Amino acid sequence: MDGMFSQLSVLGSSLVLIFGLILLWRRGVTAYIAAFRWQSIVLALVTAIVAYFAADHELYWVAGALLLLKGVVIPGLLKRMERRFPAERELDPYVNTATSLVVAGLLVLFGYAITRPLVALSQLPTRAGMPLAMGLVLVSLFVVISRKKALTQVVGFLMLENGLALLAILGTYGIPLIVELGVFLDVLMGFLVMQIFIYQIHETFESIDVEQLNHLRH
Amino acid sequence: MGTFAVLLGPPLLAALLAGVVNPYRRFVGWANGLLSLLSVAAAVTLWRHVVAGQVLTSGSREFLRADALSTLLTLCVSVVAALAAWLGPGMGDDDGYDGAQARRFRIFGNLFAVTMLFAVTSNNLGFMWIAIEATTITSAMLIPLHVTKASVEASWKYILIGSIGIALAFGGTVLGYFDFVNLVGRHDEALNWTTLMASAPHLHPQVIQLAFIFILIGYGTKAGLAPMHTWLPDAHSEAPAALSAMMSGVLLAVALYAVIRWKIVVDAAIGTEFTNHLLIGMGLLSLIVAGFSLVIQRNYKRMLAYSSVEHTGLMCVGLALGPLGTFASMLHLLNHTVAKSMMFFLAGRVLHRYRTTEIAAVSGLLATMPWTGGLFAVGMLAVMGLPPFGLFMSEFALFRAGFVAGRPWLMGLVLALLTVAFVSIIGHLNRMLYGASAGGVPVGERPAWPLLPLGVCLTTLVVLGITLPTPLQTLLDRIVEVIGQ
Amino acid sequence: MRAYVLQVTQATLALLLAPGLVGLIRWMKARLQNRRGAPMWQPYAELRKLFQKEVIVSSNASWVFRAAPFLVFSSTVAVTLLVPILAVPLPFDRVGDLLVVVYLLLLGTFFLALAGLDVGSPFGGMGASREMTVAALAEPAIALAIFALALSAGSTNLGQIVARTLAHPGTALSPGHLLAFGALFVVTLAETGRLPIDNPATHLELTMIHEAMVLEYSGRYLALIEWAAATKLLIFFSLLGNLFIPWGVAVALTPATVAIAVFSLLAKFIVLAGTVAVLETRIAKLRLFRVPELLSVSFLLGLLAVTSSFLLR
Repeated sequence: MDGMFSQLSVLGSSLVLIFGLILLWRRGVTAYIAAFRWQSIVLALVTAIVAYFAADHELYWVAGALLLLKGVVIPGLLKRMERRFPAERELDPYVNTATSLVVAGLLVLFGYAITRPLVALSQLPTRAGMPLAMGLVLVSLFVVISRKKALTQVVGFLMLENGLALLAILGTYGIPLIVELGVFLDVLMGFLVMQIFIYQIHETFESIDVEQLNHLRH
Repeated sequence: MGTFAVLLGPPLLAALLAGVVNPYRRFVGWANGLLSLLSVAAAVTLWRHVVAGQVLTSGSREFLRADALSTLLTLCVSVVAALAAWLGPGMGDDDGYDGAQARRFRIFGNLFAVTMLFAVTSNNLGFMWIAIEATTITSAMLIPLHVTKASVEASWKYILIGSIGIALAFGGTVLGYFDFVNLVGRHDEALNWTTLMASAPHLHPQVIQLAFIFILIGYGTKAGLAPMHTWLPDAHSEAPAALSAMMSGVLLAVALYAVIRWKIVVDAAIGTEFTNHLLIGMGLLSLIVAGFSLVIQRNYKRMLAYSSVEHTGLMCVGLALGPLGTFASMLHLLNHTVAKSMMFFLAGRVLHRYRTTEIAAVSGLLATMPWTGGLFAVGMLAVMGLPPFGLFMSEFALFRAGFVAGRPWLMGLVLALLTVAFVSIIGHLNRMLYGASAGGVPVGERPAWPLLPLGVCLTTLVVLGITLPTPLQTLLDRIVEVIGQ
Repeated sequence: MRAYVLQVTQATLALLLAPGLVGLIRWMKARLQNRRGAPMWQPYAELRKLFQKEVIVSSNASWVFRAAPFLVFSSTVAVTLLVPILAVPLPFDRVGDLLVVVYLLLLGTFFLALAGLDVGSPFGGMGASREMTVAALAEPAIALAIFALALSAGSTNLGQIVARTLAHPGTALSPGHLLAFGALFVVTLAETGRLPIDNPATHLELTMIHEAMVLEYSGRYLALIEWAAATKLLIFFSLLGNLFIPWGVAVALTPATVAIAVFSLLAKFIVLAGTVAVLETRIAKLRLFRVPELLSVSFLLGLLAVTSSFLLR
């Protein structure tokens, strides 16, 4: 039973990471939104699996909230934004696709390296997935740095949050419920504010290419 | 419990009032101002309790807790929030802000203030995180109060970099929780600072080190430490004056407070060496970046923003120099808050008169606005660390702490960097103060009454430069105890 | 003795089935595209026709041109003797290292590229350079995928990998295996010249890779090359099927188990052929400069597979 729990959680974490890598491979923002939606769904599934095997019923609520917020609401809002700014594609990122993928691989390796003390310390059967969560965190950071479209940066940030949530679930079966709910609220608010700003950028600059945001220097 | 209600309630009420009253009316501003004074009174009450040796907590679960460190921060936040309430759009800053913008400022400004107050009085580090994330959101809403290309760019950078920093800080919080859970087991109150401190000596060293790295990078982004400071000059220069004052004056301090809270836990677990090295490294880097950026500045608000980066770096270095350094650093925090908020309000006045933030375009300040210019000049000297102002005393104490801690070369380097900053700022200041008045700029001080609270700020700086009142000394001593335990 | 017979039978079966596999994929694609399509044994008819036709060799050709088809064919036949198609363990397994298999196949590709260059025609040169780019980029990916499997099995010996997975069924679902499967699948598409990397049915200059190299060949040479390509496809399919889903592979050499092995092999072929057919119908060919991106993804999957296998041992 423990073996299956461990396998399923690692499988889920790998899927979550792979959806994150899609941000570096594909070029269309539609693909990014779909990747984020599926990543959140898989994350909610992993949470539900942990809830089932660890017999922790609070986590079912967390899984439900994750599914609702990050699997339905936020992708919906993102799609609405994407319809406003159609056919945005990352044609010319700061780091090209092949190099990005190689860098992502190296970042995942680095994630494995820094989470070694964590995996060594933990006794939970889900601990094998923690390096993958950390890898997702690092890869999302890289996405935000190396991409030029504001929508891509927002999706990268949302995936960063997903990675941290996954780390929390795999490492500690979730943080205290109250704190978790506060975190959800914060993420939603933050996303709404980012959405407002992207609209403002579009109105002021006639594009959402953040390379245009270069008036303020030094 | 009552004190906490009086501390956190007024800004919430003011925000609610501003939200309900649409369109904006003057009395909302007056109500805001008066309510903010209530918060200040509550903060002073906390101070009295701390001086008497008590630590106020709220309720049996100790959700809110005000020890000496929290009290210093609540004082700073409430005073600056009061200044912003009296001198912000809709009251003292009528130039250029219409009713809708003033209303927006009152709503989000007060929410900003209450989230900061909540962050520094929360006992639970998870809620502290939630509050600090909320500060990012509420302050970001206000940066583009005037929608221009520059302010939109600044707000985008702020929200993106700030949110990422906060997310990393969340990672650090999760790692700390992970460490605790593996030691003790899952606990609803595991993230309470008091609970963490109780079990700190047994925490796993490598995990807590990794956690602190995430915390330092994460909250350090909000505090303006290099190399994560890139959002700071943009955001602080494009925001309205009152918001810049709140951000530069206290938000940086609140972020630093978060780092200090975690530092105390980590130091109890693995000793002070690790955190000290990291803090010195980042502090020095901030000093270097800020010092050299100040040389090429052409915008006086960005100049003030970089000066904030410099002072935050200085505070970090101070924290790494043992108890004497901590004392100096916390005194510096107080002095910097007072000085920088005053400077940003004055800069706001200059901006509304001259309609430009270019240093080159502002000339003859002393001739055009004698009182503002004079206060600006003297304030700038204070910020640069000249006697007889408070910042000189705290910087001197910091250097003394450095020499006592056996780091003369480090202090030499810091001194050199401060001198670089000094020389740059003096040059810019001269260009602004003297020379012929820029054409077409009306002369005079209208309205004049905002200068009064700003003058009080300056007087406080002078007082702090000459002496250290006993209640303040006791407060700072208690803080050193809290941090050193 | 029985084992040697089985080994030779296995190789013969592979050679005989290969054109049928290609025919199956074409037939499935046709049906998916709402056409009737040629019957599944069409490639056999094509091979027979080609063997009877005259060979035309350019006057510029050297011995490389004439030798290449035989080299390609023999290296492919050698590989069929080494890959666990029906049963493990088999006598040649001691030599049946996964690396040997990969580099034998690469030997074939190498000579084919040389032959394309040999005649001096522009199509040949272009095809050879494109093919070498794809092969060079696919090589690290395949090496990493192999390494991932080898790590969890403890050796690069194919028979041992299959045996190990049979002994520990749980490892089939481990992330290392799944990621290695993904990497190897993309590499299969690349090495056998299928969409989205190369279109096996095209003769347009813009889109040919493999076809461009063999454009000058005719008669029995072309027959040998086509057969070898089909066998290569079969080999990759058997690797994909038997390394990752080894159930059905005969462990004891009795008629019953061998019969089951044949049936399971056919089932795996049908599934894989169906997948390839669906993919070819759904996705368009990638532009040539996008192919490195896809192969980088494969490389990354391989890297992740190795990391998973290594650190989750």
